Amino acid sequence: MERPLADATRLNALVLMVGRTRDAGAFKELFDHFGPRVKGYLMRLGCSPAIAEDLAQEAMLTVWRKAALFDSEKASASTWIFTIARNLRIDAVRKERRPELDANDPTFQIEPERPADERVDWVQAEGRLHQALAHLPREQALIIELSFLGDKPHSAIAEELGLPLGTVKSRIRLAMARLRSALGEGA
Amino acid sequence: MTITHHPGDELLLAYAHGASSEPVALLVATHLSVCELCRRNVRDMEAMGGAMLSSVEPVAMSEHALRAVLSRLEEKAPESNTPSPAHSDVPVALQPYIGDEFAKARWIAVAPGLAHIPLIARDGVRARLIRAKPGAGVSVHTHRGEEWTMVLTGSYHDATGRYLPGDVQTTTPDVFHRPIANEGPICINLAVTDAPLIFKGLLPAVIGRIFGF
Repeated sequence: MERPLADATRLNALVLMVGRTRDAGAFKELFDHFGPRVKGYLMRLGCSPAIAEDLAQEAMLTVWRKAALFDSEKASASTWIFTIARNLRIDAVRKERRPELDANDPTFQIEPERPADERVDWVQAEGRLHQALAHLPREQALIIELSFLGDKPHSAIAEELGLPLGTVKSRIRLAMARLRSALGEGA
Repeated sequence: MTITHHPGDELLLAYAHGASSEPVALLVATHLSVCELCRRNVRDMEAMGGAMLSSVEPVAMSEHALRAVLSRLEEKAPESNTPSPAHSDVPVALQPYIGDEFAKARWIAVAPGLAHIPLIARDGVRARLIRAKPGAGVSVHTHRGEEWTMVLTGSYHDATGRYLPGDVQTTTPDVFHRPIANEGPICINLAVTDAPLIFKGLLPAVIGRIFGF
């Protein structure tokens, strides 16, 4: 594995540069890093190489267009680009509406501004998440991986692994407790 | 709003990773709009997605990919034609399905005091709205799969407890239950099932078949 922490700092800075100054050099570096990863992710999810290629290009174009909206207090660059790729795939491959929460929702409860000492440094957090993911017990890691790289509800995952649904749910809960504590949010 | 019943981690994780079908995503998005705790949870799960994306085995892009994208940088982005959400009691995620007023939506009467609106069905997973006047409810039933019920207005109870606006009740196949709307405002729920309900007794079973419960 590469040095995730150093990378993550650099990648965040690159997205900010694209957002602020439309820096084509910074964009090229982001493209070289994320393009092949987004393509790999989509292929693992069952997209054909041609569709994965198209969607990865589309994702990078979205990065260029929306870079000014990137908020490093809410997510790391990898997380932001992951959500872009995830949404493009649902739109293109599943051809489904993607119900989303919407901050303009009048019923939406405004999130109170978090005190500075509770803010998450997402670049740091990404490093800790890598560590925590690498140290998950095998049985939990497998289910988290199937969830990330599959397109199946947990009931189908349970069936595939020949496990009771309750076991799959409790492994997800245990894994999430560990990952949350890695993010410094307690179990 | 004090929410005591949340969707389980498995539902939030599927949503965060883009694996939930549209009916389940609708339920989760509707719950997130009123639940800060679950929003934080989903945000953390997306951060996991980001961390995992950086460890995915990269696959080389086509030779001309960068040039193709660079040549499109100045293209105008497609206009988003989503209308701005209306101020109403209908959560935004639901508005594309039923409009912005519960009262004007196309309710179908099912039984005295009970009406529903089927919203979406995908691979056996179905979302519907259920409206029950105080005292009305769905007959005793269980499920082949799971059922998730989110309270939008009013409240209801069954043998397991009381459910208030924002709460999501998860019911597994081993539970027979009979949800009944409480006194007070009319109870509207968003219910998602991943298999048909199984009713106790003949008549409800017939109603179930006709109305697709």
